[in-house]
Amino acid sequence: MLPIDAAAHSSRWRRRHPCEKAVLGLGLTVTAVCLPPWPGAVLVAAATLTVLLGPAGVAPRRLWRAFRVPLGFCFTGAVPLLFAVGGPDGLVALAPSGPADAVRLLLRTSAASLGVLLFAFTTPVSDVLPRLVKAGVPPAVVDVALVMYRISFLLLDAVGNVRQAQAARLGHTSRAAAWRSLAGLGATAFVRAFDRASRLQAGLAGRGYDGTLRVMVPPATVSRPFLFAVAALLSGIVFATLTLERYVL
Amino acid sequence: MHIAEGYLPPLHAAAWGVASAPFVVHGVRALTREVKANPDSTLLLGASGAFTFVLSALKIPSVTGSCSHPTGTGLGAILFRPPIMAVLGTITLLFQALLLAHGGLTTLGANVFSMAVVGPWAGYAVYRLLRRFEVPLMVSVFFGAFVADLSTYCVTSMQLALAFPDPGSGVPGALAKFGGIFAVTQLPLAVSEGLLTVLVMRLLSRSSKGELTRLGVLVAGEKKEATVR
Repeated sequence: MLPIDAAAHSSRWRRRHPCEKAVLGLGLTVTAVCLPPWPGAVLVAAATLTVLLGPAGVAPRRLWRAFRVPLGFCFTGAVPLLFAVGGPDGLVALAPSGPADAVRLLLRTSAASLGVLLFAFTTPVSDVLPRLVKAGVPPAVVDVALVMYRISFLLLDAVGNVRQAQAARLGHTSRAAAWRSLAGLGATAFVRAFDRASRLQAGLAGRGYDGTLRVMVPPATVSRPFLFAVAALLSGIVFATLTLERYVL
Repeated sequence: MHIAEGYLPPLHAAAWGVASAPFVVHGVRALTREVKANPDSTLLLGASGAFTFVLSALKIPSVTGSCSHPTGTGLGAILFRPPIMAVLGTITLLFQALLLAHGGLTTLGANVFSMAVVGPWAGYAVYRLLRRFEVPLMVSVFFGAFVADLSTYCVTSMQLALAFPDPGSGVPGALAKFGGIFAVTQLPLAVSEGLLTVLVMRLLSRSSKGELTRLGVLVAGEKKEATVR
């Protein structure tokens, strides 16, 4: 199982309705993207971290391990903004507004990523997918996504085992061997995926499969007080940002 | 290359979402028709999507010394056709954003446009064109995967250039900047992905002829060709 999904399955907020967590996590993400990065993104990041480490009960170590991935992309993505190309200062020169632009981008992407992590760390994908039918997604697409979700973990596990076996047989000692091993890994994943699908098909046919995958969704009701609290938090962030930007900064 | 969460300004994020929507809706209709006609295909499509997801987790050795992962769009488009890949690619990108913190939800539209729409369509067009001129299967597969990978990165460069024009030279300068950065790593990676796709297809043509024939990649005559190679 992937670390974020494992954390979501054992989350303190697991039993909360996914809609509540989507409004909170994605609301914070959209707020971070739409507000001016300074001070908006900083306020969003602070609020998200407080919710993640406080009420949502996400372990700081787990959060850092997941967050450092998008953080790395944020840093590398901000570097090109430091340079200007083809201007009066030469072919490549430092952009005068580059550092400020890069910091603003860094703040915005970091805060937005935290919002998505809040949703991902508290909501297993398996809780979200079956509910997408009610949101208007065609059942056929949801069924395909459900099968994808289930087979992906088995395939990742199988690929990990094959990679270990290849390494044990000196399959990564030279560049040529690494390429052969990699191609074998890709082909094995394909064969295993189709083998798993045909076995699943045989098993379902024996249980009277009629083209619809029925899954049990844990019952949950949408909490109005929770949604009001989210609305208050988001409004507070927007109000504080606009006030600080206009009167203080 | 996934555009990270929050990287694009809100208007750009929304515009790329709108641009991707018709292709995804077209793919959803194709997928729904396929599932209605043949209910068992749900499982095969799910397996295909899982394969795409896992493929993007494999590390390719790069000539620059670092590692990267294949986009899988070329192989996916050749095996499953671009409309289906638009849907499977969208689900894969959604899973990557939620399970791996790779990419994002506000940038989903932009990532879908480059990786699940332009990449597969461009790669598949080149593959079909070469097959029409009776170019050998593996050569067509190489160029299909190469073009799919490269076009994905070209579109990503364009998306970034439009979002962040260069202060001195505007969008063309920014395109040169982002394209130049990507070219150093992505040209070798596109060649790498093309080679990897050929190697995977060679192995598949030996071990999974039945599936490839059912997917329409091999026909009776080509089975022989693939076996001889």
